[in-house]
Amino acid sequence: MRGRCLSTAAAAVLAAGLSAVPAAFAQDATPRTPNGRPDFSGFWSNPMRPGGPAVTVFDAEAMAPFTPGGEALFFEPRTGDPRHDEPRAFCMPSGFPSGFFGPYPIQIVQTDDWLVMVTEFQRITRLIPLDGRAHREGIEPTYYGDPVGSWDGDTLVIDSRNFKRWSLDDYYYQDPTRYRMHTEDFRTIERIRYMDDETLSYHFTVEDPQIFVEPWSEEFEMTLHPEWEAVGLYEFVCEENNRCAGGECEDP
Amino acid sequence: MKILLAAPVLAALAAPPASGHHSFAAEYDGNRPVSVEGTVARVDWTNPHIWIYVDVPGEDGALVRWAFSAAPPGVLMRRGIMKSVIPIGEVIRVEGFRARDGSNNASGGSITFPDGRRVLTASAEDPAPEED
Repeated sequence: MRGRCLSTAAAAVLAAGLSAVPAAFAQDATPRTPNGRPDFSGFWSNPMRPGGPAVTVFDAEAMAPFTPGGEALFFEPRTGDPRHDEPRAFCMPSGFPSGFFGPYPIQIVQTDDWLVMVTEFQRITRLIPLDGRAHREGIEPTYYGDPVGSWDGDTLVIDSRNFKRWSLDDYYYQDPTRYRMHTEDFRTIERIRYMDDETLSYHFTVEDPQIFVEPWSEEFEMTLHPEWEAVGLYEFVCEENNRCAGGECEDP
Repeated sequence: MKILLAAPVLAALAAPPASGHHSFAAEYDGNRPVSVEGTVARVDWTNPHIWIYVDVPGEDGALVRWAFSAAPPGVLMRRGIMKSVIPIGEVIRVEGFRARDGSNNASGGSITFPDGRRVLTASAEDPAPEED
């Protein structure tokens, strides 16, 4: 059972007299924040294909064709140096979206103006403003990019950009000889909506004009896990057992 | 069933593995399953992976220490497997896959206790031993 009081949220919205509230709001079962937007707060599985493997990687068949030279940018071979080949083994960031597609719980906390996503793995935190602000200007690229959220009806649209060049996904579980990467021109569009009370549609669009001739998309699902609420996310301090602590790698 | 070892590897006793979050494919060989039976000597209940150290009698009777890297604590606890499930001194059988570097490190996929209980300790993303 979801631990939300829909009637309270409905009353708050009605009292505020908001005109932008969808007409079906009062009748449907969608949990909503006080401003009437769908409330995705809760504990969710990582985005997966229904019945698919625990680790989600993108389907090569769904990808757009490579640009000239794009394939060489996309696939980065292993070098034999684990500091390059498996940076997470040394507690380097997974980056987005890779860190959100592994088999670990994701907690979402949402208010009118912010949506916070936290993964158990590496305790990655994405802070996504919903107040209509623009992307930040003049900052250096980051592992998790610069997300801003907006609403398309009952669909949350998260536009993220300004990424470092980093791994796209956990493809190396399928092919241990190489990584799939994105460039600094990487941009993602997530479209999240309720399919039913316990399932989110997670539509993901990739843009990377250095690698692909056009954007491409895949759709996944996230499943609600109310049984995880009692304990919440477990701690995940990678540095607890980091053999490259301080940058001095032992037995690389 | 105890695994047969050519000689005690004392170096392994002095050099416990300490790795961050691993890539199974990079560090372990899914084509080299291993099954050892021994006594739990130490359990590191740490992120990003727990480590279970098992002392296994070699052919000459000397103990050889094996180290198994398993799932993160959170993954195990969500399965109901707490640290107390693996007490020091317990005799267990551990199944997994050997490290590519030939050491006595392995990815620990499951533990079987003397009473027949068997618990899955592999990460969700890693290969696990087949069910009996």
